Amino acid sequence: MTRPTAKEVKAIADTGGVPVDNEVAARIAGSIGPAFEGFEAISGTLPFDLEPASFLLAQAVKVAR
Amino acid sequence: MSTEPALMSLAAVAKAIAAKEFSAHEVTRSCLHRIAQWQPKLNAFMSVEAESALKAADEADAALAKGQNRGPLHGVPLAHKDMYYDAGHVVTCGSLIRRDFVASSTSTALQRLKDAGSIRLGSLGMAEFAYGPTGHNYHYGAVHNPWKSGYVTGGSSSGSGSAVGARLTFAALGSDTGGSVRMPAHFCGVTGLKTTYGRVSRAGAMPLSQSLDTVGPLARTVEDCALLLGLMAGADPEDPTASTLPVPDYIAASSASIKGLKIGVPASFYVDDLDPDVAKALEDTITVLKREGADVVKVELPDQHQLSAACQLVLAVEAAAFHKRWLIERPQDYGPQVLMRLQNGLAIPGVLYLEAMRWRGPALAAHIAATSDVDAVLAPVAPVAAPTIAESDVGNAPDAEAVIQRLTRFTRPINYLGLPSLSIPSGFNAKGLPIGMQLVGRSFDEATLIAIGAAFQRATDFHDKVPPAA
Repeated sequence: MTRPTAKEVKAIADTGGVPVDNEVAARIAGSIGPAFEGFEAISGTLPFDLEPASFLLAQAVKVAR
Repeated sequence: MSTEPALMSLAAVAKAIAAKEFSAHEVTRSCLHRIAQWQPKLNAFMSVEAESALKAADEADAALAKGQNRGPLHGVPLAHKDMYYDAGHVVTCGSLIRRDFVASSTSTALQRLKDAGSIRLGSLGMAEFAYGPTGHNYHYGAVHNPWKSGYVTGGSSSGSGSAVGARLTFAALGSDTGGSVRMPAHFCGVTGLKTTYGRVSRAGAMPLSQSLDTVGPLARTVEDCALLLGLMAGADPEDPTASTLPVPDYIAASSASIKGLKIGVPASFYVDDLDPDVAKALEDTITVLKREGADVVKVELPDQHQLSAACQLVLAVEAAAFHKRWLIERPQDYGPQVLMRLQNGLAIPGVLYLEAMRWRGPALAAHIAATSDVDAVLAPVAPVAAPTIAESDVGNAPDAEAVIQRLTRFTRPINYLGLPSLSIPSGFNAKGLPIGMQLVGRSFDEATLIAIGAAFQRATDFHDKVPPAA
């Protein structure tokens, strides 16, 4: 998933019920863009059965060196 | 023993009160005296409640005279980050929006410290809604670093770092969602413990990101953090995410030997682009830990940039969701930078957020696999010591988020993984500003971090250094 454009940010914010103007949309796109890029290699690759609760399972794993 | 009780550690002053070497009144007076000296320079306190604190101290002394000791913190005055609900008290959360908010209940963490006998000294400044890593606050002014006026404290627990560093309170609750305990601990030369996600109840603590928020103490020593964690940790019916795992004896851990423990130092990311003074502090810390009997080895960690990005996605969305009503109704009442950061969350699609949440389990499993041969990982808290308030005052400039992300790049991955991390004072830079190192452990294994940190503090005196008088 590539970083959103200002136009896309404006559309998603408007749809979400918190409209932003063009200047704010551009600033958001610039701010959040690197997070989209940083997560790009993961997005769209996760296995079907993976749930967020797998984190709690990983937390509970007993590790002994 | 110091003649100024305020300069003692939490554990030492609690013992001194219990043994009637000092009265709670004398101790509280000592703190209030230092607050009067330092507060005009630091802006660390949101409120100083001298009269009620002294009254509570007198009551504690009277109870002790009758043989009634309420607990391990009997009569000890404490102040905390102004986001812990305390019934009947204003809790501003560092914001204009909650300037007059009076809590109707008391947070579990705070109540457990009260049940142990602590008394309320006041409340401490913080970044607005805990959403800022530097210590700036648009509404109430920046909190200053006790080691050098004009320099940041780190945030978001800015008042906690500053007040503990200047010896105005023996310890303080902070919260850590992306580094907010460790950053001020690092910048202000105090010890800070970011707890495992779920180790301490979040009930009654202002939320920022429900998947990342953790409650943790800032104090003068590792032993003090151990004492506070032992009192706060454990299951809570008010917070279903609070773990039911047994609470270990953290105080006992603080005197354990570290001989034979293996500590990993990352081969990359956490050692890249360090300020030379921070790099030297890391090397010196390794030397001390080896001398104390630990085995220090290189460790290859998974891609930390991806963890950091995932953390940013989760935090931005959850924070925006908590604040959505106010973003619609009161956007003008936010500071510019906090508004900008909250608006960031509006732009992240739900599917991407859930992918970031779904990846948490595999990401933690990968970290566990990569670190299975070590007991803890040692890394700097930040690549630099405190910058000036002026140079880091980026507001809502186009590059503000990038500046913030660079500053917190060593802390965010740990929040995403939900791991515990102990920040310990580890040196000073050429300007005399503190440098901290973090020890990152396994989930719910704060005890090992406490053992290592306490051993380091037995061998060094960075934590004992007190900023020059105001």
